[in-house]
Amino acid sequence: MRRLISRDERFVALALLLPVVLLAFIVYFPAIQTFFVSLTAWDLRLQGSDRFIFLSNYHKLLTDPEFWQVTGRTLVIVAFVLILELGIGFLIALLLNEKFRGRALVRALVILPWMLPPVVNGFLWNWVLNGEYGALNGLLYQLGIIHHYQFWLERPAAQIFWAVIVQTWTRFSFPTIVMLAGLQSIPKGIYEVAAIDGAGPLTRLRALTIPMLLPSITVALTVEFISAFQIFDVVWTLTAGGSAGNVINPFTKTLMIYNYEVVFRDLRLGLGAALAYLILVMSSIAGFLFIKNLYNRAVQR
Amino acid sequence: MTAKGKARRTLRLIGIYTASAAVLAWALGPIYWIVVSAISTRSELLSRPYKHWIPWHPTLRNFIDILTVGQQYRAGGSLPTAALLASGLRNTVLVSLSTALIVVVLSTVAGYAFARIRFRAQNFWFFFIMLMMPLPIWATIVSLYYLIAHLGLLDANLGMILIFSTISIPLAVWLMSTFIRDVPREIEEAAVIDGASRRQMLALVMVPLAMPGITSVFLVTFLNTWNSFLLPLIFTNTERSQSITVVLSLFVGQYEVAWEQMAAATVLVMVAPILLALFFQRYLVQGLTTGAVKG
Repeated sequence: MRRLISRDERFVALALLLPVVLLAFIVYFPAIQTFFVSLTAWDLRLQGSDRFIFLSNYHKLLTDPEFWQVTGRTLVIVAFVLILELGIGFLIALLLNEKFRGRALVRALVILPWMLPPVVNGFLWNWVLNGEYGALNGLLYQLGIIHHYQFWLERPAAQIFWAVIVQTWTRFSFPTIVMLAGLQSIPKGIYEVAAIDGAGPLTRLRALTIPMLLPSITVALTVEFISAFQIFDVVWTLTAGGSAGNVINPFTKTLMIYNYEVVFRDLRLGLGAALAYLILVMSSIAGFLFIKNLYNRAVQR
Repeated sequence: MTAKGKARRTLRLIGIYTASAAVLAWALGPIYWIVVSAISTRSELLSRPYKHWIPWHPTLRNFIDILTVGQQYRAGGSLPTAALLASGLRNTVLVSLSTALIVVVLSTVAGYAFARIRFRAQNFWFFFIMLMMPLPIWATIVSLYYLIAHLGLLDANLGMILIFSTISIPLAVWLMSTFIRDVPREIEEAAVIDGASRRQMLALVMVPLAMPGITSVFLVTFLNTWNSFLLPLIFTNTERSQSITVVLSLFVGQYEVAWEQMAAATVLVMVAPILLALFFQRYLVQGLTTGAVKG
């Protein structure tokens, strides 16, 4: 028996060796080191700048109007994306929860945008919204809704609006699938009892479906919050100006794009490391709060 | 059935199919348009007002152009479009395939260990591997860049494989251990009585049983790597290792005049994900939602 255990332990050691070593060297070690970098004034453009300045970078960021402007803009995008994704996802999940011929096909096709590279989706929509030849202009013109072609991405507010739409388009399949799974796990009998008790469709939706979906909604909200909070790819090809432009459009600068700029364009490593940690802390706190609040509410019911 | 019941049923079906049409228009509209753009002639595509929603003269000309000629749209000042696209595709295929294979092997073995063997500090090691799942790799980026540079792996496919394999491990191990835990134990117990070692048992008994889980992990890892953009943008800078998504993003700023060719290049990048999604939907959806739903 003892020999068997030691043989098992050798197997386990071999099995976990590579994953553990890889994670330690590629993730944990650089993560800790990045934290220490965030405590220095390191700037590649300034010689001898890598001195220890404790939390000054964090202080600098938290008192910098640009940081708050970028954070605010990111949160606005996140808020609208979450509302749209949850709304659209819920409606499509309700539809796919019905039985009808062709349902499997609709379900299969609806996840396609989610499977595409987000950076491609940004470009795709950039082309759809093109002011001279884009499909949206062509379509609306043909339908007589507009009489002149529009430059949809011209105004800053419009750029934010379309970034929200494209992020929603890229990600709505995830909430859809998660909520559909939630809907399918609700026992059908409950609805029959409620119908006998005289509850109309809207009452049933409000009093039964939505409370029972809360765990699925929590999962969708958390995952989608983190995804939208760290939005980068979609904006990059939609409005940021692209790698070729070399100038990052200030009107759609989100936290991740700001961080990319600080580290890889401005080469301010210490400040950039601090920003990366702030992004990490903010998304962790938000994720934690979502799970705690919504899950507690779901459990209490 | 009464006339009223029949009318109600018809009404329901009309509602359902109208809603389905709207949903599909939303989900597929932009994809349809880029495909149409890619097979349209330039004069049709750039006609105003546009009305070639179904191309009158579908053509593969744009694909042939970007893959063979493309010299009029030189990229990066050094290479023609065709060469950049070809190297981008080669790099992405190589990195995605290698990463998926490595991750499948590592996660099957580790997942088996977590699911079937009791060992010392098991929870600690599980936590050690999983901790990274919610944490973005972004928090490591400044030092990771130096580490990769130090290893001589900047602008190298090997460096990308190393990074993507590592960041894919947590989800993959989670999926595999969940999956293997659901496989009934009886078959293995018979193998133990026959005197099989852990290694034999894993290779001969578990791998065939866990094939759906393995497929899931392979496809999810492949797709995530294929679709990535930010990490290749940071860690690669020439045709040696630039991924197809990075190559495409380089075109976006510079070659917007050649919309029909841009569209063709975009379609090239989209083909693999779309085919995978259509043929292996079940595995992909399972892999991409299990971690979130069960977690």
